[in-house]
Amino acid sequence: MHPVLRLVNRNITISLNPGFLIWQIIFPLIYIFVAGFAYTSLIDDVPFENTKLDYPTYLATGMIGFNIMNSTLISGIIIWNDRRHGMFEQIMAGPFTRTDYILSNICTIGIVGILSATIIAFVGYPIFFDSIEFSIFTIPILIFASIFGSILFGSIASIISTRLRSSEGFNVIINTVFLFFAFVSTAFYPVSGTPEPLATAFYLNPLTYLVDVIRAGIFGTFSNFIIIEMIVLIVLAIGLFSIATRLLTKLDF
Amino acid sequence: MSCITTNSLSKSYDDIAAVDGINLDVRSGQVFGFLGPNGAGKSTTIKLLTTLIQPTGGSITILGTDAIKHPLKVRNRIGVVLQQPSYEPTLTVEKSLEKYGMMWNVDRKQRRDKVEELIESFDLQEIRKKKNEDLSIGQRRRVQVAREFMHEMELLFLDEPTSGLDPSARRKLLDFLKNKVKTGLTIFYTTHVLTEAEYLCDKIAIINKGKIIAVDSPDELKNRFGNEKTIKIHIAGIQQNLLNLLAGIQDCKIDFNSGTNITIHSNKSELVLMEVLQLLNKNNVIIEDLSAMPTNLEEIFIKAVNDSNASSA
Ligand SMILES: Nc1ncnc2c1ncn2[C@@H]1O[C@H](COP(=O)(O)OP(=O)(O)OP(=O)(O)O)[C@@H](O)[C@H]1O
Ligand SMILES: [Mg+2]
Repeated sequence: MHPVLRLVNRNITISLNPGFLIWQIIFPLIYIFVAGFAYTSLIDDVPFENTKLDYPTYLATGMIGFNIMNSTLISGIIIWNDRRHGMFEQIMAGPFTRTDYILSNICTIGIVGILSATIIAFVGYPIFFDSIEFSIFTIPILIFASIFGSILFGSIASIISTRLRSSEGFNVIINTVFLFFAFVSTAFYPVSGTPEPLATAFYLNPLTYLVDVIRAGIFGTFSNFIIIEMIVLIVLAIGLFSIATRLLTKLDF
Repeated sequence: MSCITTNSLSKSYDDIAAVDGINLDVRSGQVFGFLGPNGAGKSTTIKLLTTLIQPTGGSITILGTDAIKHPLKVRNRIGVVLQQPSYEPTLTVEKSLEKYGMMWNVDRKQRRDKVEELIESFDLQEIRKKKNEDLSIGQRRRVQVAREFMHEMELLFLDEPTSGLDPSARRKLLDFLKNKVKTGLTIFYTTHVLTEAEYLCDKIAIINKGKIIAVDSPDELKNRFGNEKTIKIHIAGIQQNLLNLLAGIQDCKIDFNSGTNITIHSNKSELVLMEVLQLLNKNNVIIEDLSAMPTNLEEIFIKAVNDSNASSA
């Protein structure tokens, strides 16, 4: 077996624990079913492009992006734990290169990202069934979103985990950053109707771009703006990935 | 055959030379002991030899391969237990052994056999189902050392493997290692515990402040310093001018910190002892306790390090 695959095998083994599964699957489902339907009485229709969506539909599609982002947290947690428990050094003294290690992390979050996006898409399917506009682009767009979303947020998580030293710092910072990404984005509410400063903040957030692209794929609402958002995602993902790789390569023992 | 060769190997951090131009020659099938006080450069040397860090200067050849040019090739053939603990906190002991074998591409059947064999050899039966994060420090160390034997290797680096182990686990590990050496394994072994080095090692290098100050077999080292004896005298009450009086005695080195303990190292211990006793008697100094013993490896170690500190100061 190739060294990268052996590391992916190991990464998945150490990440699969009940806490992670709850975080990854139960938590988004609670959002969709509890929050989605509870808020329906407050929010009837969400204006979206030139149509309207009911809130659970809007939220369920947002949760796909949210879940891709969350799954990348495991890359940060793996790097962080490997450093803290000496496994990074041990692996680097073994039959692996740093490139193997970095690639295995990307593959791990790619796999977890695609799996959890698929689970949420399946569970959410009955909810957004009525509004869905299947096209030849739907599946490729979802795969595009999973891959570039994973690389982008995975790089952010790994940058944080290579820069920090104390474990309190790691938890506080990674939770704050990801909480900001989650709630200051179009995953939970549309940009129209929000105050100007908040609307601006939404577009400083890569999750907004990711979620917009996913919705465009599912509801078939392509525009030039979506193309620009896709380009922004690609550029950010490549840029952050090269920073993350450089930091990890320089990490000293 | 040479297993490890280094030439003027150096590593500096900012302004300190952690490893300062060392030349090593470790033969295949040996246990090579690497001794030195805290901060001497032992772990840095191990990290250099295992390609974890890049040297500032010099060359390294491991198993015939240039380790600076082909680090991965070298890493594929060696094993390392670093000084720092390393473990997968959420996996059980047996699972973490098994996964480690998988990471080294050991096939499934062989992995299962190895796990059982190591659980037996390292006394891990009682903790095999426990998670690594729930183990005591010594138990974790045992698992860490055992884990390295999940894969085959020609050369093994051990950086203070017995730290945290109780005496019986310590002895078991040393015997396990001795058996492995009989099957052709070469071991590079770092420790502070000199009795361990004496028991296990074919050759010992003493390192201080990044420089090697002595290399020899344990017997040779003892021979070289062997005639020397250490005399310890405990006197009753502090004697002000004693140091001046003792300074006149030839052929010995006296440690006397104006307290009540006098330690004397000498190659002519009988003569020296006589003179000291006469002197103390003449000055009415009462002796409470007296002992004379052959210098052991521990003393050689301390002496070698002190000598090298004195000559570099
Ligand atoms: N990453 C680093 N950055 C700066 N200095 C370092 C680094 N690693 C080691 N040193 C310094 O290099 C010297 C040698 O350290 P090393 O860890 O090799 O000692 P050691 O012989 O293993 O000691 P011990 O018996 O305590 O394990 C020390 O002075 C240490 O402070
Ligand atoms: Mg050390």
